[in-house]
Amino acid sequence: MSDRRALLARLAPAVLIALLAAAWMLPETGAIRLASADRSAADEWAGALASLPEDATVLVGFDPDLGTYPEVRATVRVALADLLNRDARLAFVSLTPEGRALLVSELGRLRRGEANAARLLDLGYLPGAEAALVSIARRPGVPTAADGELARRVAAGGIDAVDAILVVGGNDLGPRSWVEQVRPRVGDLPILAIAPTVLLPELQPYLESGQLAALLGTPRDGAAYRDATELGPLERLREAPEPAATAVLIGLLLAVLILGEAWGRRLLSQLREAGRLGRDAA
Amino acid sequence: MNGFFGTDTADLVATWVAAIVTIVVLGGLLGERRLFGWSQHLLAGLATGFVAMLAVHEVILPRLVWPLLAQGGPGRAELWIGLLLVAAAAGAPWLPRMVAAVPVSIAIGSLAAFALSGAVIGTVIPQLVASVAVDGGTPVETVSSVAAAGITGLVLLGFLHGVPRGRTLQAAASAGRWLLVAGIGGWLGYLLLSRLLLLLDRIGFLLGDWLGIGR
Repeated sequence: MSDRRALLARLAPAVLIALLAAAWMLPETGAIRLASADRSAADEWAGALASLPEDATVLVGFDPDLGTYPEVRATVRVALADLLNRDARLAFVSLTPEGRALLVSELGRLRRGEANAARLLDLGYLPGAEAALVSIARRPGVPTAADGELARRVAAGGIDAVDAILVVGGNDLGPRSWVEQVRPRVGDLPILAIAPTVLLPELQPYLESGQLAALLGTPRDGAAYRDATELGPLERLREAPEPAATAVLIGLLLAVLILGEAWGRRLLSQLREAGRLGRDAA
Repeated sequence: MNGFFGTDTADLVATWVAAIVTIVVLGGLLGERRLFGWSQHLLAGLATGFVAMLAVHEVILPRLVWPLLAQGGPGRAELWIGLLLVAAAAGAPWLPRMVAAVPVSIAIGSLAAFALSGAVIGTVIPQLVASVAVDGGTPVETVSSVAAAGITGLVLLGFLHGVPRGRTLQAAASAGRWLLVAGIGGWLGYLLLSRLLLLLDRIGFLLGDWLGIGR
């Protein structure tokens, strides 16, 4: 590699970041939208929430991972606010340390946003992986320090007090584990999932088979759901600003250009090689 | 933007620390490897500390020590069994093989049984039932169901390696491999979008949360 090429290769990431930063600062005009034009996943999700009973209790399995959480964070926040706006009660449990760390942060944000604390219950961190999921399916453990009507309701009714399960997935113990360990034990309790794209191939079959009631598994489906959701008085819990669609488009175009350049270079070298072989044969 | 931090002094310090570490990690892209390596050590150390704190505060004390002390006797047999299991695992190098290996094997076997039975009951059987081509009511559903079954079969054939086969089987396996590549390509396209969003989130954090530049 020549010196000039090496310098360019070294500077390329900085140029990319500078370009994306400039694009991030551009005002969003609405001409470019992140939200998927196919709204079926968002509609399915909204339908699943609408079918919940009044004053529903939702068990939230909160186990995203640190690496991919920013991809689903805005959607998770709108989903939690949407549930609270529908007068649901949320009982949170984490099965992974990463999930617990993020849950503590999100509960702190809900408190700062003055969400109704009586409708939130922190069931804490539950070790034991699959065995812990089985114990949840039998009776979610309520910490002795927990107080309030929601804690009493979950302590008395166990899983029967729960009307739906929302799983925020990451890598370990995500929606797949909930479908495998909890669903066979709780019958028709609907399981909804929000997961990063990396889990999409693993989760799509569960959605198709009906084992998941609804899934938001891509950034565009999440954006479509956020666009369509009115949070009323809880609008303050929505994350702002939304991801910059223009910056995303510029990033994608750059990626396509880089891939195209690499592909073109490879094609060119193969053509040259074929030409050389042809000349040698002649 | 990420909303994790409030406005008091501790949150301000946290924002600054997060911003500096973000810049250090992005600096790794530009070739600054030493600071990047330190940031990885910092992450590993913080994660270990957090897990230790979680284990003490949310598992060992509330789920083991306090219940045992509250009982004041051998009331919670399962907790004593758990404690013995920990002792057997920790003392394995010094204990007779049978004393250490048997309880630990039972514990590991039980965990594996949970995972395996869950996979069979929760995934294999329902997914097999769902992937069988059935008359779905509308012609489109029926055709898509048959196509899904066909593609599944072709992709499975694509994994045949080193088995003597005829021209037809070879063509089918080749088609299966191309379908697999197409599927992975589509998924990578989605992943590209998701990774871009992660990078933009960090850029947005630096510009919005740290520098206060609005959009």
